[in-house]
Formats: sequence, C-alpha cells, structure tokens
Amino acid sequence: MAAASIIGQGTSVRGNLRGAGSIEIRGRVEGDVQVDGDVAIGEDGAVNGNVNGAQILVAGQVAGDLTGSEAVMLERGARVVGDLIAPRIGIAEGARVRGSVRTEGEPTAPRRAAVVPTRRGGEAFGVAKPKPAMPAPPKPAAPAPAPAKAAAPAPVAAPIAAADPPAGPPAPVVPALGKGVKGKKKAKR
Amino acid sequence: MAGTVIGEGLTIEGELTGDDEVVVHGTVRGTLTTTDALSVGSGGVVEADLTASSVTIAGQVTGNVAAQERVDIQAGGRLVGDVKSARFTIADGASFKGSVDMDV
Repeated sequence: MAAASIIGQGTSVRGNLRGAGSIEIRGRVEGDVQVDGDVAIGEDGAVNGNVNGAQILVAGQVAGDLTGSEAVMLERGARVVGDLIAPRIGIAEGARVRGSVRTEGEPTAPRRAAVVPTRRGGEAFGVAKPKPAMPAPPKPAAPAPAPAKAAAPAPVAAPIAAADPPAGPPAPVVPALGKGVKGKKKAKR
Repeated sequence: MAGTVIGEGLTIEGELTGDDEVVVHGTVRGTLTTTDALSVGSGGVVEADLTASSVTIAGQVTGNVAAQERVDIQAGGRLVGDVKSARFTIADGASFKGSVDMDV
C-alpha cells in the first residue's frame, strides 16, 4: 500500500494531483485529484476540480465531480457543487449538494465495506487526525450522528439506501373511504 | 508530523504554496514554496524551484533552491541547480551541480 499523502491546512496546490495511495486534503487544491486510494477532504479542505478515488469522504468544500470506485460519503458540513458518482453514496444530514447523483457500478459487498474503513483507520487517515473532521477508524460510516434514520442501520455503509425501507408497512397512499362517503361523492358528481 | 506530505506514488504537477512544513516522498513538478521547512525524502523526485526556510535533500532535485536559513544535501541526495542560502552543506556521498550564493 503506497504511503498516504497530506495536503496540510496551510498549503495550497494549483495543479493536478495523481498517483497511488490515499490522500487527505486539509488545505486547498485548485485542480484535479486522481488517486487509486481513498480521498478525505477535511472540514477546512477545499477542492476546485474533479476528484477520483476509491472511497471519497468529504467534510469540506468541493466544486467538481466526485467519482468513487467504491463510495462517496458526504458528511455534515460538506458543500459540494458537482455530481456524485459511486456504487455507494451517502449524504449525511447537514451536507449540502448541488448536482446529480448516480449510484452505478457494482456495490461492494457489505462485508467488504466493513473491511475497508478498518484498513483506512489503521493506516491512511488514522495517521494524523487531531481533528474530528473525519470519522476515521470505526466502521459505522454513519458520519455525523444524524437523526435516527442515518444512524440506525449501522452495518450498512450507505445511510441513504438504508433509510429507504422504514420498519413496518408503508402508510396508505390513499385514505380508505367508507361506503357512505364514497357513495355520496359519486352521487355529487 | 509534517503539515503536508506528498506520499510515495503521488505526483503533483503545478504550484504548491503554503506555510506548512512539507515533506516530499513522491514527485513534484512545478514550483514549491513554503515559509516552513521543506525536506525531500530519499525516494522523492522534485523538478521544481524550491523556496523554504530550510531545505533538506535526500532525494533528487532539479531546480533552483532558495532558503532563508539553510540548505543541506544529505548522503545519497542529488541536486542540480543553484543554491541561494546563508548556510549550505553537502554531505559525503551527495552529488551537486550548480552554483552557490551565500550572500557574502
């Protein structure tokens, strides 16, 4: 596994970053980021360009498309103007997005997903993380302890997908009408 | 822990500026400017003009180097370019081609 890179808070890059390994951006990047590892954009980080990576975690600002081969996760406070493309996409409460969202590609199996963050917490993003910017080590990718919906399905990485099927039968779309009521309505017409 | 780390395998093409300490284990092409210390690891490749408070080179650098405090080329380090700094050391085993301006 190639070493992790960090763009520090006081650093700005004008140009493209590409290569192997994971990268954590706490400063500013004006240009494209393309790595085969994970990308974490801290809450003070800003990227003006497209971002490509395996898992992309955003707590800062991005103006550009986010393409994750595994996942794109927006955390509380994230601001994204651009498209989100990944097999798994999570948008936490408090994140702001303007752009289209496409979940495409084979989603990595849940067990696989459970492995990935462990690896990341172990080496890449766990290296120097004084800030609570990224939920680094523990798997439950439920970012900010968003309302029950996102937090509840802990084993699933994508809060959005998990939030869809609420427990119990769905509320009836059309209220059932009693016989009398229905009859009266028809009669009126 | 350095503020900015360009990891092995990562390539930056462009301009890197800031006030963090910078460590380069990967590749940088363009310019690299920081008000803090800069070091190029043994696997680092820099094709850029460097400006920093102090510069330590253990990898390969092609470009001019300007430092407010000092420039050190360590054993195994290689620098092709001009150096402008009040203090400048070249370790045994380092290679250097260029001119030196110590502001005398």
